[in-house]
Amino acid sequence: MFDYFLRRLLLTIPTFIGCTLVVFIIVQLAPGGPLETQIQNLRKGGGETSGNSSIAGEQTLPPQAIEELKRFYGFDKPLIVRYLIWLGVWKREAETYNVKINERRLVGNGKSILVKGDMTIVDADNLADVLDQWNVTAENVNGKISYRVYREEYSGILTGNFGKSWTYRKPVIELIKARMPVSIQFGIIGFILSYTVCVYLGIQKALRHNSKFDFFSSTIVFIAYSIPGWALGAVILVLFCTESFFPIFPLGGFEDKFYNELSFFDKILDRAYHFVLPTIAYTMSGFASLTMLMKNSLLDNLSQDYIRTAFAKGIREKRVIWLHAMRNSIIPIGANIGYLFGVLLASNYLIEKVFVIDGIGMLTFEAILARDYPIVFCYTVISVVITLFGSIISDLVLSLIDARIRFK
Amino acid sequence: MLESDLSNIVFNKIKLQQDKNMSEDKSINNAVVLSINQRRWRKFKTLKRGYYSLIILMSLYFLSFFLPILVNNKALVVKYNNSYYFPAFRDLLDIPLIGAVGGSSFTSGETLGQIGNASECRYRELQQQFKNSNSDNFVLMPLYPYNPFEGTDVKDGEKFMPPLSSINGSSIRLLGTDNNARDVFSRMAYGFQVSISFALFVAILEYLIGVPLGAAMGYFGGKFDLTMQRFIEIWHSLPFLFLVMILVSIFDSTFFLLVAVLTLFAWLGPAAQMRAQFLREKSRDYVAAAISIGVPTWQILIKHILPNSLVPIITFFPFAVVGGISALVSLDFLGFGLPAPTPSWGQMVSVGLEHVTDGYWWLVLVPLSAMFFTLILVTFIGEGIREAFDPKVFSRLR
Repeated sequence: MFDYFLRRLLLTIPTFIGCTLVVFIIVQLAPGGPLETQIQNLRKGGGETSGNSSIAGEQTLPPQAIEELKRFYGFDKPLIVRYLIWLGVWKREAETYNVKINERRLVGNGKSILVKGDMTIVDADNLADVLDQWNVTAENVNGKISYRVYREEYSGILTGNFGKSWTYRKPVIELIKARMPVSIQFGIIGFILSYTVCVYLGIQKALRHNSKFDFFSSTIVFIAYSIPGWALGAVILVLFCTESFFPIFPLGGFEDKFYNELSFFDKILDRAYHFVLPTIAYTMSGFASLTMLMKNSLLDNLSQDYIRTAFAKGIREKRVIWLHAMRNSIIPIGANIGYLFGVLLASNYLIEKVFVIDGIGMLTFEAILARDYPIVFCYTVISVVITLFGSIISDLVLSLIDARIRFK
Repeated sequence: MLESDLSNIVFNKIKLQQDKNMSEDKSINNAVVLSINQRRWRKFKTLKRGYYSLIILMSLYFLSFFLPILVNNKALVVKYNNSYYFPAFRDLLDIPLIGAVGGSSFTSGETLGQIGNASECRYRELQQQFKNSNSDNFVLMPLYPYNPFEGTDVKDGEKFMPPLSSINGSSIRLLGTDNNARDVFSRMAYGFQVSISFALFVAILEYLIGVPLGAAMGYFGGKFDLTMQRFIEIWHSLPFLFLVMILVSIFDSTFFLLVAVLTLFAWLGPAAQMRAQFLREKSRDYVAAAISIGVPTWQILIKHILPNSLVPIITFFPFAVVGGISALVSLDFLGFGLPAPTPSWGQMVSVGLEHVTDGYWWLVLVPLSAMFFTLILVTFIGEGIREAFDPKVFSRLR
């Protein structure tokens, strides 16, 4: 058993690498990346000042500048190296400066460095202190030699560095963190709601199998299953938020404009008021599978021999159902608990787009449009990790609550 | 063959119950003669919800191929100076991939007496013109005389027309117009055909890839299975819609590119199911027997195991179609779907939501109602098929 889960855990490593590599390659191969956009912007800018965009623009962007841009975005290295750098197992150029020999240069963290004539790099305030982590390269540009110093370090997602967003100019982690609360609130509310409703409905459906109630609730459940959440959201948004029908709920957003001025109690009310429709849209699609799982699982157990025996012994029906059958029926439901992790990233950009909620999904969607790779990668990493661990934890929970299950 | 044995028993039971009114001889006879698939079909027919959904959906899809003569701005028949023209029927023969079999439907306005109109004839105006002129010339328009692409009838620059409105006595706009003054009913109707065709293409393609791969994984096992499983796990964990969006933005979106990209991610479902089935079936005695008498592997796979493994993937098919439709509408909604003038439900919704405060509600409700209707029909069919194939009958002691 322990071996099994250990193997599962170890197997997540190649899967993780595979996933991120696929996304990395596809995203980096996509045209319209930041480098091209930057170059185009610079060309346009140059063109506007000189009046003739196409000819003057070409001239205003020397190859050196392109080189520098490439280096800034890391495109001067082959794809696989870029991937390894991003992972954090290959040295990354953390800082880079153009310098002249024997001239002080202020670098990050307030230090100054100096390149000596013999190409050694020392602390400018303490010339005897040779700095190993700094390197220098010399380039010959039009007969003039220019020197560039750079510092290398291992820094990637494995060391917790997800990079900076290119559009927001902020660390990606910060951006995601800022949007996390909304997703978590949606996730938790949706989770509790769907579990309580689905378990109850599933039990009722099983107990009244083939009744009218079963038939009609099945119809509703299947309708909910077949309709994507965002589409349902769009319909209820138009029905309940616009002047054309019944403007009961607020149109989009997840809090009022004056949210920060409200008292604590009003804040909760306001949140709830804004959350009703998106939550319905968000939970609806998951309803069907959970309800049917519960129903079929209970039905399955109710037709087992041990239930027949229990009835034969003369135990009351309520006791048989709730104590004998339910305990076994709830197992597959409980095993889904691993996906509770999903609430961390409970974001559906389609729903967020419909209700104009500034969540993680929206952030990533816009990042894709803007080719803001660090955000896209960060989202991928989080979602892959959640999926991988979610399924392992589900199996673990299943094996813990059901003694009959043995993973090999 | 446990499953089919079980279902035999169950279906016999059902059969017996159904045929209680018939003479006993007949019912026994029937139960013996019917093959398992015939019995499944009979059971499916008894599940009214699924059965009627199938009939409705099939007839609607069949009808949708005749849309050019039902919903079109070109005339069915034009009689002008004693010669006849059938532009709408030429549209009907303009088959995707094959091309216009009956020649181009283009007829300039001048040929039909619209003076000064060298471009496409405006048949609705022509109809009025002929009516007023009192000659024996006539124009017979299709049932609903607007096509999904034309956006000409604009009143005072206002492009959005609410449902059930019309300008200057022209034919009524059943469901209004969109931001380009295109007819919403017409776009919805053509969008139905696009959506179903798309979903069918994706579903069939994903089966063509997923079934053989899954079968090979399950039957041969070993290293091939292991590597493929890792591959599938990787593929499965990818944020799929994001990747589709990136891929679609790399290449210029076309119908078949979109089909290909979605298939790229959709084949996992049938592959996983087939793998599980083949893994289970290969340890059965009948396979061992087939191997021992020297049946070639491909024959064992196709003739022996495959027929016994089809149940889960057949029942999954309608749900694959549901997935295809939803994915297409979602991508269209995000702007990563079919190329621009294609009538699509998702695109209408995105326009409607952009103008949500302006009260163009029909742009959201019409396509989504059409989508809900379609999806519900397909789901009901799927549910019916699943039940017809399901040998399980729950019995409960009271």
